[in-house]
Amino acid sequence: MGCCYSNEDENTSQDPDEIKPLIPHPNPISKPPNGTDWINPSVPSARTDEQAILTSILVKTAQNIIDVSAADSVVMEQHEYMDKAKQYSTKLTAVSTSLPQKKALALPSLTTQPHQVLASDLVSYSDIQQVSKIAAYAYSAISQIKVDAKEELVVQFAIP
Amino acid sequence: TAALTAGLDRIPDQLGYLVISEDGVLASAGELENDEHTASVIMQMVRTANRFRLSGSADHFRSPGSEDVPFKRMSVLEDFVLAVTVSGQKVFVVKRQHAHP
Amino acid sequence: MESTLEQHLDDTMKNPAVVGVLCTDQQGHNLGCRGSLSDEHGGVVSVLAKQAAALTRDLTDTPTVCLESESGNILVRSHGTITIAVHKITS
Repeated sequence: MGCCYSNEDENTSQDPDEIKPLIPHPNPISKPPNGTDWINPSVPSARTDEQAILTSILVKTAQNIIDVSAADSVVMEQHEYMDKAKQYSTKLTAVSTSLPQKKALALPSLTTQPHQVLASDLVSYSDIQQVSKIAAYAYSAISQIKVDAKEELVVQFAIP
Repeated sequence: TAALTAGLDRIPDQLGYLVISEDGVLASAGELENDEHTASVIMQMVRTANRFRLSGSADHFRSPGSEDVPFKRMSVLEDFVLAVTVSGQKVFVVKRQHAHP
Repeated sequence: MESTLEQHLDDTMKNPAVVGVLCTDQQGHNLGCRGSLSDEHGGVVSVLAKQAAALTRDLTDTPTVCLESESGNILVRSHGTITIAVHKITS
């Protein structure tokens, strides 16, 4: 398969594993459905420049065309789909177990003795009262930020 | 789960507890029995609190060897207290009464 | 005036064992800070206070959140539209 790949040479720096098919093609020499194989891409040097250019255009065009009629050859039966799906899911499970557990790292480890930490003395009540008082004072201090209007903001013009 | 919760029952003034993992509540009892709401809020708070770091200039306020641990216990204090800590990828929450009114 | 809050933060720092104080609004904007607490802590402090508020059934009461370590505690408390964090070392 792979007929949907563009032939542009991008992502060459990528990890080859990223583009490697998860399940190798069972019949690697099967004819690609876009039919590029009917043309010989190598252009003999004996031809004239014009012919060479025409051939290269033809090759390029052929590469960019996906022959839909040829796609019939890749139609799969229902059971083939099921088999493929099963194959992929088992393959994925196998791959995912070897991946690092990123989620698990999200929790910090704060102690090795959680029971003792939880049983130790609680924050003193006076500390709670103190911070509550500080918060209340801060709020009232903020609330006092207001425009201190010393003059009339709306000035009446003398209307004759 | 017996090993997880064994010590939690003996905590003074405890009214209930929760043991939570990434996947959900592992154990619960008392006033926190099946309290999914508290479990999810505490989980969020642990993640938030974990981002708290005192800057380098305050190094002397830290105990040596605890560089990467921002705190040892988180408490939410109201009419009651929720004491929270994390150990072995599990979050432990105990609901306790104030020692003093 | 703004100096009222500044004055209040200065006064707070005079308390024994207090080594840092921070005042933030609901969005985590720093309204003022002293000592060990600075700009960078505003976000975490305001989010923590907001999350803790979801734990209380009584909407008129706001809980205090405390991050405890052996060397000291960070106490976080909201009042109206502001949140205060106080860093107290163990005496």
